[in-house]
Amino acid sequence: MSREVLLEMRGIVKRFPGVVANDGVNLTVYRGEIHGLLGENGAGKTTLMNILYGLYQPDEGEIIFEGKRVRFRSPRDAIEAGIGMVHQHFMLVRRMNVLQNIVLGYRTPKDPLIDEGWVKEKIEELSKMYGIGVDVDELVADLSVGEEQRVEILKALFRNVKLLILDEPTAVLTPQEVKNLFSALRAMTQKGLTVIFITHKLKEALSVTDRITVLRRGKNVGTIETAKTNERELARMMVGREVVMDIRKPKIEFGEEVLRVEDLWVEDDRGLMALKGVTFSIRRGEILGIAGVSGNGQKELEEVLTGLRKPKKGRIILNGKDITNLSVEGYTASGVACIPEDRIGVGLAPSLSVADNLMLRDFRNFRKGITLDFKAMEERAAKLVEEFAIKTPSLHVPASTLSGGNIQRIILARELSRNPKLLIASQPSRGLDIAGIEYVRQRLINAAKNGSAILLISEDLEEILQLSDTIAVIYEGEIKGIIPREKADIEEIGYLMAGGAAA
Amino acid sequence: MIKIERRHETPRWLVYAIPFISIAVSLLFVGLLLLAVGVNPVDAYMTMFSRSFGSKFGLTELFVKTAPIVLTGLAVAIPLRAGLWNIGAEGQLYMGAFAASFIALYVSLPPPLVLPAMALAAAFMGLLWASLPGILKAKFDLNEIISTLLLNYVAIYWVDYLVYGPMRGKEVFNFPYSDIFPDFAILPRFFGTRLHAGVFIAIIIAILLYLVIKKTSFGFAVKVVGANPKAAEYAGINRKRIIIYTMLIGGAVAGFAGMMEVSGIHMRLRSGLSPGYGYAGIPVALLAKGNPLAVILSAFLFGFLYVGGSALQTTYSIPVSIVYVFQALIVLFIIGGEFFTKYTIRIRRG
Repeated sequence: MSREVLLEMRGIVKRFPGVVANDGVNLTVYRGEIHGLLGENGAGKTTLMNILYGLYQPDEGEIIFEGKRVRFRSPRDAIEAGIGMVHQHFMLVRRMNVLQNIVLGYRTPKDPLIDEGWVKEKIEELSKMYGIGVDVDELVADLSVGEEQRVEILKALFRNVKLLILDEPTAVLTPQEVKNLFSALRAMTQKGLTVIFITHKLKEALSVTDRITVLRRGKNVGTIETAKTNERELARMMVGREVVMDIRKPKIEFGEEVLRVEDLWVEDDRGLMALKGVTFSIRRGEILGIAGVSGNGQKELEEVLTGLRKPKKGRIILNGKDITNLSVEGYTASGVACIPEDRIGVGLAPSLSVADNLMLRDFRNFRKGITLDFKAMEERAAKLVEEFAIKTPSLHVPASTLSGGNIQRIILARELSRNPKLLIASQPSRGLDIAGIEYVRQRLINAAKNGSAILLISEDLEEILQLSDTIAVIYEGEIKGIIPREKADIEEIGYLMAGGAAA
Repeated sequence: MIKIERRHETPRWLVYAIPFISIAVSLLFVGLLLLAVGVNPVDAYMTMFSRSFGSKFGLTELFVKTAPIVLTGLAVAIPLRAGLWNIGAEGQLYMGAFAASFIALYVSLPPPLVLPAMALAAAFMGLLWASLPGILKAKFDLNEIISTLLLNYVAIYWVDYLVYGPMRGKEVFNFPYSDIFPDFAILPRFFGTRLHAGVFIAIIIAILLYLVIKKTSFGFAVKVVGANPKAAEYAGINRKRIIIYTMLIGGAVAGFAGMMEVSGIHMRLRSGLSPGYGYAGIPVALLAKGNPLAVILSAFLFGFLYVGGSALQTTYSIPVSIVYVFQALIVLFIIGGEFFTKYTIRIRRG
């Protein structure tokens, strides 16, 4: 196999406010290979590829493509150089047909007219060559997700790309479609095309790639030949073993059962079953960690346990009382608090003041006759700002002006100050700096000590291991084994998270 | 090189300055327009000013024109705080006018009860008219802009039908008017002018709604829904209920404006009873940024445009449409101004 270097990314750094998404990442891709880019969510895979595709500009580092130093200011530049990308969320015009979508923005020989015959011929040729069949006259709105993806791929191939980036292409596919996709990818590399395949699924990475680069927290862990590795090694690389901080939840006596979830079935927004018969319980003072790669039902679990989403089947029992069908307000009144995964989009109203955001849930307790006691609310907010050391110039600035860590402190302050019976904490330290992470984790431990039952949903295994008394792994909407912390093994959990079968 | 950059923070002064800048720039553009039709804009503006503020008649006319716009402005502003666009204040006003006229002409009540009954009926009818788009929005997420807008036509033509048909007066020959209301169905007037009691009621309603919005837990919930509906749901605020309630309030207020117009100004139901007050409510609410007290001020500006516009018509025979051009420009510049709260333009050499 020829080892001609097609692409080299050197020392790529990309910072977002409060986060370093890529921290000196290197990537070398040979011509004609399928290169896997593996890592947990938030590891920086998509950011790196968006830089390559010209969607982001890197803060530092350089990109060398076909031996030339390049700088892509927009995807147009990248496409011109021969790089195509298929995003996780497809970018097709639903009301146009397949042919129109593929040719959109492309100049056919008869420009400014569109030479449909020529286009059709070329698409058919490509379809045959790679085994990617589509009906060019079909409306995109009528296509299945798998077919839409094929259109996206054809769109890139149509532009004669040399390098095709696929971002989590299998997330939306059926197993049969995955098989077809993989054979198409192999056909492409045989013709000299190069593919970068972003994934967090170990099995897929192993079955289709030639080499794999693993990212963790925005940094390279290493690049490895697929033939010379296995699932366990990859899981270890992906998850990491070294513990950044020395936090550990001390053992305490658990009290009575606070939450019991029985055979819970929940649909996602698309009407597909996202939770399939989930059963578990949490006691007073216990932290139950739900480990899993995101998109396996965590969001629905968070929403169903806060009353935002109603289950199709099953019961939620809090302190012996069936709360399944209560409103969100009913859940709140019963003592359920939540640190949502989507802090800015769900956890607060960014345009409102810090004080308003601190009072988002509890303002009802400050009724005085028909009005609200704003003075008391403000005093309460001021106290919370002090108690949780929220760094803000004043109570009245919009919450959006605060840093990510301080935004999370607002949510922590609001939710923990209610002394909840049950706290759902979803990805509570994602994207925070070390000090912020430590603060959040310590607060959660203290809350458990004070008698809250905590459900910790996290992709960060280190966090799960530091905080949890009991660990459950969620995969495709099912709980794959509930393990006491003492018996938990990081590699075993990583293996289960990636869809491995329980030993 | 000119570059457009995203602002990380919006300076506070800019948020408040934009309405004033929009007004100023609109004045400038309308000035150019006046110039184009051969009128000296400075003279024209002076005329507008002296005719509104220079006499008892002008001043009271100003108040009389401002009052319904205060109400329609509120009818847009309250739903706007919850993130909804009530484009239907015009139709709600017409339906309120219809209900009030019906009571005045066909229902026999003890005379002192007639005006309160008209007000209640008008508010209720407006509320009913606004409840349709409100409920459709809450239950089926039907776009309220379209539903409220379309219902305007239904309401306006309904009133037209009535005054051309079943409610046409016996003494109006062929005009599309109802009979004149009995005296006890007409709002009391002051100083021998058209200044009627409705003006004061409109201001009291604005103050009351200000208190509701700023001081009550309902007002707080509305603010949260407007700022981030998802966060509101997560915090246990019933978003759908808030959507419906704000629309109901808006409809009731606009409906009352309809009663005020028929009972205070026209003294009868008639075709074309509003010169677009309901639509004027939209820029009024925008200029006021949804604040009910600020609505009084921005409504005053639009009242001035109406009075001054008629002055231009009589003095220079410029069509009164210039007022609508002015209104439209203000809306455009406010929307354009929002761009500058999010972006800044930087000029770089080289």
